[in-house]
Amino acid sequence: MQLTATTNADLAFRIGEFETLTDGLDYAAKGVTGCNFFSPRGKIADVLTYAEIRQRAVDLAVRLDASGLKRGSRFGLIAETNASFVVFFYACQYAGLIPVPLPLSINLGGHESHVTRLRGMIAAADLSAAMASVDMLPTLREAAEGSGVELIGSPDDFYGLTPVGGDPRPFDKTEACYLQYSSGSTTQPRGVLVTQRAITSNGRAIGQHGLRLRPGDRATSWLPLYHDMGLVGFCLAPMLSQVSIDYLATSTFALRPRTWLKTMSDHGGTISFSPTFGYELCVRRMANSNGGEFDLSRWRIAGIGGEMVRPDVLDAFVDTFANSGFDRTAFLPSYGLAEATLAVSFTEIGAGVRVDRVDRDAYERTGKAVPAPRTTPASSARSFVLCGRVMPGYESEIRNDEDQVLAERDIGRVCIKGPSLMDGYFRNAEATRATILADGWLDTGDMGYLLDDEIVITGRRKDMIICNGRNIWPQDLEWAVESLPAVRSGCAAAFSVNDDHDEERVVVVVECYVNDPEKQQELVKDIAAIIHRTAGVHCEVVLVPARSLVYTSSGKLSRAAAKTQYLDGSIRLLHAEPAGPEPHLEQPRLAVSAGA
Amino acid sequence: MDKDSVVNELCELLQKYNKEGIELTAETKLGSDLDVDSVEVMDLIMEIEDKFDIDIPINLVSEIESIGDLASLVFKRLEAR
Repeated sequence: MQLTATTNADLAFRIGEFETLTDGLDYAAKGVTGCNFFSPRGKIADVLTYAEIRQRAVDLAVRLDASGLKRGSRFGLIAETNASFVVFFYACQYAGLIPVPLPLSINLGGHESHVTRLRGMIAAADLSAAMASVDMLPTLREAAEGSGVELIGSPDDFYGLTPVGGDPRPFDKTEACYLQYSSGSTTQPRGVLVTQRAITSNGRAIGQHGLRLRPGDRATSWLPLYHDMGLVGFCLAPMLSQVSIDYLATSTFALRPRTWLKTMSDHGGTISFSPTFGYELCVRRMANSNGGEFDLSRWRIAGIGGEMVRPDVLDAFVDTFANSGFDRTAFLPSYGLAEATLAVSFTEIGAGVRVDRVDRDAYERTGKAVPAPRTTPASSARSFVLCGRVMPGYESEIRNDEDQVLAERDIGRVCIKGPSLMDGYFRNAEATRATILADGWLDTGDMGYLLDDEIVITGRRKDMIICNGRNIWPQDLEWAVESLPAVRSGCAAAFSVNDDHDEERVVVVVECYVNDPEKQQELVKDIAAIIHRTAGVHCEVVLVPARSLVYTSSGKLSRAAAKTQYLDGSIRLLHAEPAGPEPHLEQPRLAVSAGA
Repeated sequence: MDKDSVVNELCELLQKYNKEGIELTAETKLGSDLDVDSVEVMDLIMEIEDKFDIDIPINLVSEIESIGDLASLVFKRLEAR
């Protein structure tokens, strides 16, 4: 099998100059570029040019329309990294249906929580149809039971529908495009409704300004297609600029991270993105190598996004792969979020990772990022990575809790404005009001400051936990813990604490009503086990005496207060195991600024 | 290779994840008893694939809770080879 070409010799390179996804695909289909899918062992498994993708999508769109699905209804797609997902996503565009990418799960014993999560999304999106591969179909059916989804099947089931009577009409530029579930808890998932205008404007800005695409560019990705960085960054935006993509499944990368580098090396990938975590995994798995077996010299943009950028990890990556010709200036820190479709800012290409070193004491006490003199010892300084200026057409402001705009180097809420902001969360006016401010700006939920107009992220105000590149909603952990018979409802608080390397560690504080020390030990074990089953992460369990912590007005343990007390050591412990912050942990500044 | 010997080989392979030195049997839960995290799971599966020369479909991992579950899966993949 031969991979799709990198460059269209006979078709003009048009970077995102389209107003709908189908306009973009109609154009890309005139060329020879497309998508390539690799097997878990890194062999070529499937190759489709954009022409073939379009042909299949248009054919399927006729069948979907003939099946009687109403225009604008939602179509769930379990987002495995394969040709079916891509074809179905575009078929929905031609048929006027809103695709909803749905997540996979690779947690040990995580089947139950996966089904629960899918069930929540199926209900929130009010799906009319859903597709999964033959392997995943039983899970999808289990999750959709009793939900009223009209059509559920494998790709072949849908390809086998009759085309008779189908007359699909693609989405026009004023309509919706897809629904993205990337935030919110399991039982209250929040779907970002992305419009044609949002996706095409973001795709254009990414291609023309963020990445400055040029002939010869080739994308490589293992990012999950149910996340914005994978879907927008490495499926839709490349298509809108006729760029070929080489895909690995996320699980392939997780198992054998070197497959990522080998694919880039073998097939000349010039652009790939990953959270810091991905670069770290590569280093971790290169123990028995001099790092020189690849040719990474063509890798011109090694993007970083999705979680806090950790410079020391990236330094280790550079050291490990210097022999493979990896150029440290290829690193491109970026900032974005699903609520803005994907990208908001990129650093200048070729600038690499730049760090602002600030005085730790001022940062913690006054909320100001004061530059630390060169002589400041590491223990008194804190380093943050610059994430670039917002793209043309976008604006950024740092605001305080009273919505006043702050000065440069003052830390506050990062707010943005631009053409690709969501109109709101799907059928969730309350969550929308909390995010889209009255003046039309988006409150990102992140904390940070501006430095010469560049965005610097210092942490999150939102409670979401990000562990090993995955988003974990604390509510889900708390509910799981509270499902244990020995734990009372509303008596658990889950949060993460950052260490000095900006890695997050999960802590669960639980009020304990059990007196027997042996039973308490058992409870600690049970809590750790259920957290593990729910989210696949280790956690520190902290048992505290009943009614010793602060409650919110709704009678729920306050996460922010529990975290503050945990960090400053004022929390009362019940069990004998050592708990509380280790000496190298960050002081509670973030928790304080997070408010209650 | 029968299923019991698969269990034995897996227990041997799992020793290095056995931080607390508990007794490993087919009933041992990988998550709650051994506390194998999401990154270690990937290390583990890769080792199993290499050791037994099989491919483990990653979709099936969420159904695995105990060493016995894992052994059944390995056994099935060995037979399917």
